[in-house]
Amino acid sequence: MIKSKTLKAAFIASLPVLMGYLAMGIAAGILLAGKIDRPDISFWAFITSATTISGALQFAIVDWIAQQTPILDVILLTLFLNIRYAMYGLSLLERFRGIGFLKKSYLIWSLTDETYALEVECKVPAGGNPLNYCLAVAAFDHLYWITGVTLGALTGRLLPFDNKGIDFAMTALFLVVLTDQCRERKNRTPALIGAAAAVIGRIFFSVDNMLIPAMILMTVTFIILRRRLEKGICNE
Amino acid sequence: MSEQTIYIIIMAVATCAVTVGLRAFPFLLFGSGKKCPPVIDYIGKVLSPAAIAMLVIYCWCSTYRNSDFLSSGAGIPELAASLVTVGLHLYKRNPLLSIICGTAVYMILVQKIF
Repeated sequence: MIKSKTLKAAFIASLPVLMGYLAMGIAAGILLAGKIDRPDISFWAFITSATTISGALQFAIVDWIAQQTPILDVILLTLFLNIRYAMYGLSLLERFRGIGFLKKSYLIWSLTDETYALEVECKVPAGGNPLNYCLAVAAFDHLYWITGVTLGALTGRLLPFDNKGIDFAMTALFLVVLTDQCRERKNRTPALIGAAAAVIGRIFFSVDNMLIPAMILMTVTFIILRRRLEKGICNE
Repeated sequence: MSEQTIYIIIMAVATCAVTVGLRAFPFLLFGSGKKCPPVIDYIGKVLSPAAIAMLVIYCWCSTYRNSDFLSSGAGIPELAASLVTVGLHLYKRNPLLSIICGTAVYMILVQKIF
């Protein structure tokens, strides 16, 4: 059983994701229901959001369904859209080592950008189990995403208030995690390298295509600077 | 089953398999039993601040994906709300407070001013 203290900490940490995922999920659900005219579209909104938890993808599939994009293209586009996920696990290898198959599978399956940020930070209360904390965060985020997308498809444009700009909660979440990480000196140079790589990626590519070159660039930089950066890590 | 239903099912399976496969990739490669090579260990450590910094920049840029940079705020709402978020977080160290205040500032700016 997960301690209620751990559960509560995970819930509070996941609240920004609640705001962001509901806003983004509802938008994706509205788009899906608006473009694909079939009575059971809410059901498919539920199925697609529950099986593949991925923001950009949820928007992309709308056109794919509408145009019946060839499956090979779907596979390639998904690969490019989400290839950054193939790097995230590197930061979590040690944390997830030696845990049961089902739990590990779920943690891997549910690893979004936001869940990754929270799991890397892992602000588990004293005496709590970090793994249970990660599981709870992942499950909360997963639930928010399904709720957002399904709700969007069900209710369409019947939103109670103007939520324009609420997706900044996600940016703010990343900023807060980054601020906490940069309290430790050893993380500052890597953070700067990541930011610089993203800026360079954006200069040479469009917003939609900037992440892959940015990740390649930062990885190459890390390998080149390994000796110096590792010295920094060891000195801490 | 209609042609479209079959398409949705196949597409859902494909996107899920590719996405989960990507997420599982490092675990399949280095996860079982033995320690992973030191270089991978090192990349994993430096990657998390770098990837999160990258996502911050990406979020800022995404705002202007479908709109003109200069006529829709020129980055001022993002800059102001980000400063509020980080400043408050350095001062109070309360993640939720920082995020809610930063988001509120942002919503007010984009809804009422820009």
